[in-house]
Amino acid sequence: MTTVPFHRRKETKLVFRYLTAASLVVIFVFPIYWLFAISFKTPGEIFAFPPVWYPKSIQFNNYAVLFRDGDAKTVGNSLVVASVSTFFAMIFGTIAAYSLVRFKTGGENLAVWIISQRMMPPVAIVFPVFLFYVWLGWVDTYIGLIILYTAFSLPYVIWMMRGYIEDIPLELEESALIDGCSRWEVLWKVVFPMARSGLFATAVFTFVFSWNDFLFALVLTRTEVTTYTVQVTHYFGGQSNFWSKIAAMSVLGTIPVFITVATLQRYLVRGISMGAVKG
Amino acid sequence: MAATAHPDRNFKYWLISPAIFLLLLIGLFPLIFSLVVSFMRVTMLETDTSFAGLVNFVQLFHDARLWQSFVHTALVIVIALPIELLLGLAMAYLFLDRMPGRQILVSLLMLPTIISPIVAGATWRLLFDNRYGPINQIIGWFAGHPVPALWTVNPQLVYPAIIFCEIWQWTPFMFLILLAALSNVDRSLTEAAEIDGARFWRSFRYIVLPAIWPVMSIAILIRGLDLFRIFDIIWALTAGGPGTMTETVSVYAYVQGFRQFESSYTAAIAFLVIALLTVIVTWAIRRMGLAK
Amino acid sequence: MSDLKITGLHKHYGAYHAVKGIDLEVPSGEFTVLVGPSGCGKSTLLRTIAGLEEASAGTIEIGGKDVTWARPRDRDIAMVFQNYALYPYLNVYENIAFGLRARRVASAEVDKRVKRAAEMLGIAQLLERFPRELSGGQRQRVAIGRAIVRDALLFLFDEPLSNLDAQLRDDMRVEIKRLHQELGRTMIYVTHDQIEAMTLADRIALLRDGKIEQLGAPLDLFERPATRFVAGFLGSPKMNFLPATIETGEVILRDGTKLTLPPGRKAPNGQAVVLGLRPQHIAKAGASAAPGHVQLPSTIELVQPTGSRVQVSMPLGGTSITAEFAAHEVTAPGEQVLIDIDMTRAVLIDPQTDKVI
Repeated sequence: MTTVPFHRRKETKLVFRYLTAASLVVIFVFPIYWLFAISFKTPGEIFAFPPVWYPKSIQFNNYAVLFRDGDAKTVGNSLVVASVSTFFAMIFGTIAAYSLVRFKTGGENLAVWIISQRMMPPVAIVFPVFLFYVWLGWVDTYIGLIILYTAFSLPYVIWMMRGYIEDIPLELEESALIDGCSRWEVLWKVVFPMARSGLFATAVFTFVFSWNDFLFALVLTRTEVTTYTVQVTHYFGGQSNFWSKIAAMSVLGTIPVFITVATLQRYLVRGISMGAVKG
Repeated sequence: MAATAHPDRNFKYWLISPAIFLLLLIGLFPLIFSLVVSFMRVTMLETDTSFAGLVNFVQLFHDARLWQSFVHTALVIVIALPIELLLGLAMAYLFLDRMPGRQILVSLLMLPTIISPIVAGATWRLLFDNRYGPINQIIGWFAGHPVPALWTVNPQLVYPAIIFCEIWQWTPFMFLILLAALSNVDRSLTEAAEIDGARFWRSFRYIVLPAIWPVMSIAILIRGLDLFRIFDIIWALTAGGPGTMTETVSVYAYVQGFRQFESSYTAAIAFLVIALLTVIVTWAIRRMGLAK
Repeated sequence: MSDLKITGLHKHYGAYHAVKGIDLEVPSGEFTVLVGPSGCGKSTLLRTIAGLEEASAGTIEIGGKDVTWARPRDRDIAMVFQNYALYPYLNVYENIAFGLRARRVASAEVDKRVKRAAEMLGIAQLLERFPRELSGGQRQRVAIGRAIVRDALLFLFDEPLSNLDAQLRDDMRVEIKRLHQELGRTMIYVTHDQIEAMTLADRIALLRDGKIEQLGAPLDLFERPATRFVAGFLGSPKMNFLPATIETGEVILRDGTKLTLPPGRKAPNGQAVVLGLRPQHIAKAGASAAPGHVQLPSTIELVQPTGSRVQVSMPLGGTSITAEFAAHEVTAPGEQVLIDIDMTRAVLIDPQTDKVI
C-alpha cells in the first residue's frame, strides 16, 4: 500500500463516507419523494410511461378532491383519537411508572406483566377486544378507539418513563417532602419538571404510534370515526385512478407527523437512545 | 405497632390504579371473554353458544393453512431481521464519527420509520407497479430493455417485495438504536485494543459487541416481535396473496375473523397466539432483566 | 425539654438489621454529630429521624411530640443533603423559597426570609442565578439557605461537606459552626470525617454496627474512650495499638520492652492488655523525662512531613508505630533517636472485651 499522508487518508475516507451517506439518503428518501410527487401530479403525469420523475407544476387538485369529498375529515379523526389517547396514556403511564420505580409496587411480577403487554400482537388483541366492543356498543365510536389506544400505549409509556424517573435524584423528592410538599405535589412540582425531556420524547413516540395505527382502526371503526390510515386503504381498489387519492391522503396523514417530529427533534434522539440504553 | 400505619401507605396504589384498570380492561378481560367464545361454535352461519369443548383447538392442529402462515411469518423474520441488523450496524458505523451535516442526514434517514406502515406499503405498491412504477423503470435501465416484473402478484417476487419494503422502513430504527449504543462505547477500550495491535474484527468481536449487546438484544427482541405481527405492509402490497402465499399469522387471523367471521375459531387462534407469545415474551423479559 | 428524643429505635431492611436499638436524647440548641465508618447506620438513623425511612420499632419524639409515624413535612425539621438537592429548573431565590411556598407562606414574608437567609450565608447576589451556574460551595450554601429559611425546630445534615474539596470543606465547616452559634438551633449532623465531628460537635455519638458505641463531648471521647473502637476511630494519625502484659505496675511489650505506668494507674497484675498510644503523645525526647513519661531509644523507619508536623514510623514492641514530631525536629530514616512516651495519656484495653480499662 502506498504511504499516503495521514490527513489525506482521512479526507478520502470522509469523501467516501459522504458519498455512501448520500446514496443511502437517496434510497431511503426517494420513495417518500415519489409519494409526495404523485400527490401533486396530474393523472396524465401519474400514468405516464416511462414515468415522469417530477411534476411539471405543483397542483393541488388531488387534495381539493379529498377535502371536497369530506375524506380529509379522517385526518381530523386521527388527530382527535391520537392526541387524546396520548394525553391520558402519558398521565396514567407516568404516575404508574413513578409508583413502580419509587415504591416497587407489585414487585418484578407486575413489571414483567406490564412490559409483556407491549409485546402482544395487535391482531391477537383486536379480536377479543372487538367482541367486547360489540357487546358494549363501542364499535365505531371515538371513546372505543381512544380507550384502546390509551391502554395499548400504556406499557410503552410506563417502560420509557421508568427509565427517566430513575434518573431523577431521589434527594430532590426527599427534600421537597421535608420542605412541606405532599406526595402529589412532589409528583407535579418535582418529578414532572425534572422528566420534561423524557415526557416530550415519549409523548411524541406514543402519538406517532397511535396516529400511524392501522389494524385497530380497521377493525374497530366503520364510517363515523374512520382514521386516515383506513381511509387510504379505501382507495386500493385496483382501479388506477385512485392512486392520486392514495398519495394525497397519505401525504395529508404524514405531514403532521413530520412537523411534530421536526419541531421536537432535539428531545427525540436523546429520547430514543435513553430508552434503548436503559431498556 | 403497625396500627397507626404510615399515612401515605396507599398512595402508590392510587397512582397505579388507572393504568392497571385500563390494562386489565383491554388486556385481560377480553382475553377471558374470547376464551369463552372459543369454547363455543360461533361462525358466520350459526351462533351456537353451547359449550363445544376443545373442538376449535383441535381444529387448530389440523389447520394446514394456519401452520403455513407460521412458516410464512418465520420466513419474513429470518430474512428481514438479520438484514436490518447488519445494515443498521453498518450505517451506524458510517455515521459514528463526526461529520458536518450529520444531524440533517440522520434526520432524513429517519423518515421511513415515522410514516405509517400502511402508507409505506401503499407507497411501495405504487413504486412496484409494473408499468408506471419507477422500480421497473430503473431495473430496465440496467438491463437495457423493459423488464415486466409483477412484484405484487408474481410468486417469485412477492416475498422480495414485502421484505424490501419492510427493510426500507425499519432499518433506520435499528440504525438509530445501534448508533446510540456505539456512541456509548468507551473509546479508551477500543483505542487500547488498537494500540495493542487488534484489527477491526477482533476489536469488534471482543470489545464492541459485548458492550452493545444489552441494547442490541433488546432491539432484536422488539424488531423480532414486530416482524411476527407484521400486517400493514403485507395487507397493502398483497393482502396475503397470491392465494395465501404471503399470508402471515396476523393476516390469516384477520381473514378468519373479519372476512370469514369464524368467530369461535379466530378466538381460538387468538388465544393460541397470545399464550405462545406470553410464554416466550415473559421468558425473554425475565432473562434479559428488563423488569428490574 | 429535649428537642429530639429517640427511644429503642430499630430499623430493618428485610433481613438486614441496620439500626439496633438506639436511645438518644438531644437537648435544645445542641449540635450533635453522628459519626462512624461506612455502614454503621448513621445515615439510616438520620433518615429515620427525618421520616424518609420508616422505623421498624421504637419511638421518635421531636419537640415533645411523637412523630414516629408522621410525614416528614409534619415533623418540623429541615434537612441539608450531601448532593445539595437543588432544583435545576428553579433559580436560587425560588430554590430557597421552595419550602415556604409549599406551606403557603405569604409572598411578602417569603421575600423577607429568603433575603435574610441569603444575607446570612453571603449569597444575596446570587439569587437570580440557576444552580448550574454555581460552584460547589455556593450550591451548598443555597442548600443550607433552604433549610434555615424555614425556621424549623430540628436541623439535619447528611454529610453535607463530603462532595467538596479539602480546602472548601475547611471553609464551610467554619461557616456551619458560625451558623450554629448565630441561630442557636438544635442540629444533628452526620459525617464519616472525624475531624468534622471533633470540631463541630457539642456532643458526638460514635456509631458502630447500628449501635451507639459512645456518646459524649468530643474531648471526652478523645481522652477517655470507652472502647478500642472509639480510641482508634478518633484522632489522626490513628492511635497505635501494642499487645502487652501487665506486671507489677509495668507494661511489658511483646519484645520485652518495659514501660512504667504512672503511679495511681489501675492495672490488674498479670493480665494481657493492648496498649494504646496516640502519635501525638510520642515525641522526640527532650532533656529529661517528666513524671509519668518513659524514654526509649529507637530507629527511624519512615518520615512523612505534613507541613506543620512530621509523621514518623519506627519499631516498638515488635511492631511499627507512628509518632508525631514537631516540624523542626525532622529526622531522616535510619537515624537513631530517643523518644518520649507520655504514659499518663496511654490507654489500656482488655483484649477480650475491647473495652478500656
